[in-house]
Amino acid sequence: MPDRTKNDHTNNGIGCNEFDLLLSDALDGVLSGAGLDRFQAHARTCKTCGPLLEEAEAGRTWLKGLTEVEPPASLVSNILASTTGVDTQRLRMMTRAPQPRISWWEHVQASYMEPMWAIVRQPRFAMSFGMAFFALSVSLTVAGVKPRDVLQISLRPSAIRRTYYNTQARVVRYVDNVRPVLEVQAALRGIKRNMNPAEPGPSKQQKERKNDTTQQPEQKQDRNYSQTGEKLILAGDPLGPSNRDLPVVSVTTYRRFV
Amino acid sequence: MEDVQVVAMLVRRCIAGDAAAWEEIVQTYNRRIYNICYRFAGTSDDAQDLTQEVFIKMYRTLSSYDASKGAFVTWVTTITRNLLVDHFRKTKQDRMTDSMDSTASDHEDAQPLSEQIPDQSAPADTRVRQRELSETVHQALGKLSPELREAVILRDLQDMDYKEIATALRVPEGTVKSRINRGRAELGRLLQRTYRQVM
Repeated sequence: MPDRTKNDHTNNGIGCNEFDLLLSDALDGVLSGAGLDRFQAHARTCKTCGPLLEEAEAGRTWLKGLTEVEPPASLVSNILASTTGVDTQRLRMMTRAPQPRISWWEHVQASYMEPMWAIVRQPRFAMSFGMAFFALSVSLTVAGVKPRDVLQISLRPSAIRRTYYNTQARVVRYVDNVRPVLEVQAALRGIKRNMNPAEPGPSKQQKERKNDTTQQPEQKQDRNYSQTGEKLILAGDPLGPSNRDLPVVSVTTYRRFV
Repeated sequence: MEDVQVVAMLVRRCIAGDAAAWEEIVQTYNRRIYNICYRFAGTSDDAQDLTQEVFIKMYRTLSSYDASKGAFVTWVTTITRNLLVDHFRKTKQDRMTDSMDSTASDHEDAQPLSEQIPDQSAPADTRVRQRELSETVHQALGKLSPELREAVILRDLQDMDYKEIATALRVPEGTVKSRINRGRAELGRLLQRTYRQVM
């Protein structure tokens, strides 16, 4: 194996390092004259550079045989959409196939009627509709509404206006009639309250007042954190209230001196 | 070759918010970028994603393009290359490691347009052979190291000159030449070995 670092081991006036530098020029066809002769002479005699030239030449030929690949048709529109965020009208026209013209009726049919009809055709919808109709007819029968009454309803503007005024007058009359009754009720409630002025409040309020320690000294407030129910239990006393803690009640008896 | 003044005008219009100018840039360069991405990444899906990413980055950084520093195509190629390097790092684990003898890709986009359109003049077996050959070379390209791969793609598939490649890859021109030589030789060696096995 020849030493590639050694200059001109083939005695052709060119070393392996120089051969490397000239290789691309030789393959590109820019090397000529005496330089090309020396290069070729070195390639013929050097056991490393000769195969290198062959392999490089073969590789270049293989690569030159590769043709350009065609990018996907959607690539440009994807790039524009991802950069400017705008898919231009022209690009859409380019990528989309031409659509046949349809009339407005066909458009309505395709957009609204077909989907609706598809829902109506479902057995679930038919069952729900039947149940709703049955429930409505039963309700109307119970309420005393007859189909004949419904048919007699006039939908002329004058008739609708008359119905509106009649309904309004009925509401006003009802309020006028009810007002004296409400006034009497209010008066009776006032009299009742005056007759029983010292009504005890609800017991809940009393209990709340009992627990309210906001006006008490701090010591008592602390004690009340351990209070349960009606009984006062001091936290520092495991046995509960003892006699010494009970308040001393002085009983004064008054004798009647006869 | 791009007309520098026309491209500079397009870029200025684009920066000013002209959507039509941006669309023109996309129309002009999408094919080139897609091909670089496809040859580097290996699959059509990855190439599409990467191409979109390149254009998104271009769109965001278009104002940073300086015409005095180099051609627009070199700037675009630099962005593409940087994204490809990032992609390579991210997908290092699940990179293509399948055998070169595996079946050809069934992606429609993986085929050149000339091969998608039936050629009445060429016999069917010739077309099939060409397709297989193209697929084999494409797979062999994927076996090269990313440094060698990007160099040969830019030189032999995109026909960029050494100076432009050196700018895009940010390496000296001598390194570019060396990588191209090694890449070509490696590819030739791989394909010769493959065909020797087949024969």
